[in-house]
Amino acid sequence: MAKQERSLSELYGDDPERGDALAFGRRTGSSRRGFLGGAGLVTMGAAVGGSIPFSDQMPAGLIPAALAQGAPPPASPAPSPAAAAPKGPQLLDFPGKAKGLVLLGDRPLVAETPEHLLDDDTTPFEKFFVRNNGLTPDEFKEGDAWEFSIDGEVNTPLKLKLGELKQKFTHKTYRMVLECGGNGRSFFQPQARGNQWTNGGAGCAEWTGVPLADVLQSAGIKSSAVHTGNYGADQHLSGETGKDAISRGVPIAAALEPHALLVWAMNGQPLPAIHGGPLRVVIPGFPASVSHKWLKRIAIRDKEHDGQGMGGTSYSVAIKPMIPGGKTDDSNMRTMTDMPVRGIITNPANGTRLAAGTRKLALRGAAWDGHEGVSRVDVSIDFGATWQPAKAAEPRNRYDWRRWTAEVELPSDGYYELWVRATDSKGRGQPHVAGGWNPQGYGANPMHRVAVLVG
Amino acid sequence: MIARIRRAGLVLGAGLLFAASSALAQAPAPSEETPEMFPAGPNRDEAFYACIACHNFKLVAAQGLSREKWGETLDWMVTKHNMPALEAEERGKVLTYLAETFPAKAPAQQGGWKNPFLN
Repeated sequence: MAKQERSLSELYGDDPERGDALAFGRRTGSSRRGFLGGAGLVTMGAAVGGSIPFSDQMPAGLIPAALAQGAPPPASPAPSPAAAAPKGPQLLDFPGKAKGLVLLGDRPLVAETPEHLLDDDTTPFEKFFVRNNGLTPDEFKEGDAWEFSIDGEVNTPLKLKLGELKQKFTHKTYRMVLECGGNGRSFFQPQARGNQWTNGGAGCAEWTGVPLADVLQSAGIKSSAVHTGNYGADQHLSGETGKDAISRGVPIAAALEPHALLVWAMNGQPLPAIHGGPLRVVIPGFPASVSHKWLKRIAIRDKEHDGQGMGGTSYSVAIKPMIPGGKTDDSNMRTMTDMPVRGIITNPANGTRLAAGTRKLALRGAAWDGHEGVSRVDVSIDFGATWQPAKAAEPRNRYDWRRWTAEVELPSDGYYELWVRATDSKGRGQPHVAGGWNPQGYGANPMHRVAVLVG
Repeated sequence: MIARIRRAGLVLGAGLLFAASSALAQAPAPSEETPEMFPAGPNRDEAFYACIACHNFKLVAAQGLSREKWGETLDWMVTKHNMPALEAEERGKVLTYLAETFPAKAPAQQGGWKNPFLN
C-alpha cells in the first residue's frame, strides 16, 4: 500500500468519497453502519422488572448488572421486521467466526467474546476474541515456507522456515489463556482511553508449537541478553512502510519459560490467519500484545525493548498509585508484565429469565490469572454479603484456566445478581470496583456480575 | 433518526448477503463511516477526518475524556502513531468537537460519589 496522505480536509470537504478513493485507494461500499445511540435512561425498578431481594446489601451507587452490561442477544431470535433497528452492541461478521462476538472496531479489527460465549472448556476458533493493532493482512500463503529470524544478542543468528521448525524441535501442546492487557477496561471510572473491553478480551485454546527456549538455545543466548523484541508482518495503521503495527517483548527469562511457544496450530488445526497463522508466538501470563501474530523476527536485546507499544503509557500501569483521571507522568509508569486474576460466569447469561419458583440454580464459569495460578473461586447471590466456594477443575497445565461449577439456592422469586470472585495463589482476589487506574486502562478486574430474574 | 434506522436496515441486508458468500480467505473490508453517523456539532468534519486516516471513528466515539485528556491523546497519536501534528487552529477545532461531544462521563457506577482530588 502506498503511503497515505493525512489531514486532507480540503479534499474531503469537496467530496468525501472521492477523497477516500484518492487518499486510500478505497471505495465506499453500499453498506454503512448506523450509529448506535445509547439506551435512554430508565428507572431501575421498572427496568429490571422485579423485586430485588438483597437490595439492602447492594452497594450504594452500583447499578444492577442487568442495566450495567448489555444483555446477550436471545438464543433463537424471533422473526423481526426487516427494517428493525439493531439493538444492543454491534456484532462481528467475519468468516468462520460465531455470531455473537461483539465488534469493538473494524479498523483496526477488534472483537470480544461475551462471557456467556466462553462456556466451552476449550475456546473454539469461532469464539476466540480478535485483537489486531495494525491493518489486518491478507491471508499468507507461504505455509511451511514461512520464514522468520532470530538475531541480536545470540551467538548464531538464525533464519528458519516454519517447516524446519517443525522438523528440528520437539512439539508441545498446552492449553493456555491469551488475554488482552486492556481486558476489563470499560469498568474503570473515569473512563480510560482505548477499546472498551468488558471481560471478553480473553480465551483459552490449545496451542501447538515448539518452545521458544529451545530455538533460542540453538542460537546460543549471550550473557548480554536482557529482553526480546518481537516483530510481526502486519503494517501500522498509518500505512507507513517500515513502521511496525506493534513491536513488544518480554524479559529474557519469560522467553525461556517452557510454556512460551512458537505456535502453528490452534485446537489441533492450522493456526487461522486471523489469529496469526502461519506462525505466531504465545508468551502466557503477559498481556497478549507480546504474543505477536504473523511472527517474522525476534531480536534479542541488551536492554528493555523500545518498539512500538513499549514505554510511555502503553501497556503500562502506575508505579505510585495515581488519582483516577489525574495527570499522566510517564516517569511513574512501568510496563505491565503480569495479568491479574479474573473469574467469569459463563452460564447463566446476564439477563436470563427463570421460571417462577426456581430455587436451585447451577452456575459455571472459568477463572484464570497471569503467572501464579488460581487458588479458589467463590460465588455470591447477595452482592457479596455472603460467599460460597465453587468447585474448580484442576488446570491441565500451567497457564490453563480453571473451569468451575457451583449450585446456589435462591430464597424467593425476584431479581438476583450472581457474583464471582477468583483468588490467586498469593491470596489476591478480585475487587468490587476496578482499581489501579492508569491512563490507558490496564488491569481492571472487578468481579463479574450476572443478573437473573426469577418469575 | 429515521435515516439512521434506514441505514441500519441496509447493514442487516448486506450482512446476510455476505454470509451467503463467505468462503473468502480475506478479511472483510472495514465498513465505511461518514461524519453524519456521529453526533452533530461544530467542527465535526475536522475531527472526523483528522482521525479516520488510521482508525474507525467509532473507536473515538467510544471514549469519554476531558479536553485535557483529549489533548494528551492527540499528542500521543502524533508522537507514537505517525499522526501529523495539527496546526493550532485546527487542533483547537478538533479538540472542541471531541471534548464537547465525547466528554468525561458521569461516574455512574459510583452513584454520584466524587473523587475529592478532582475538580
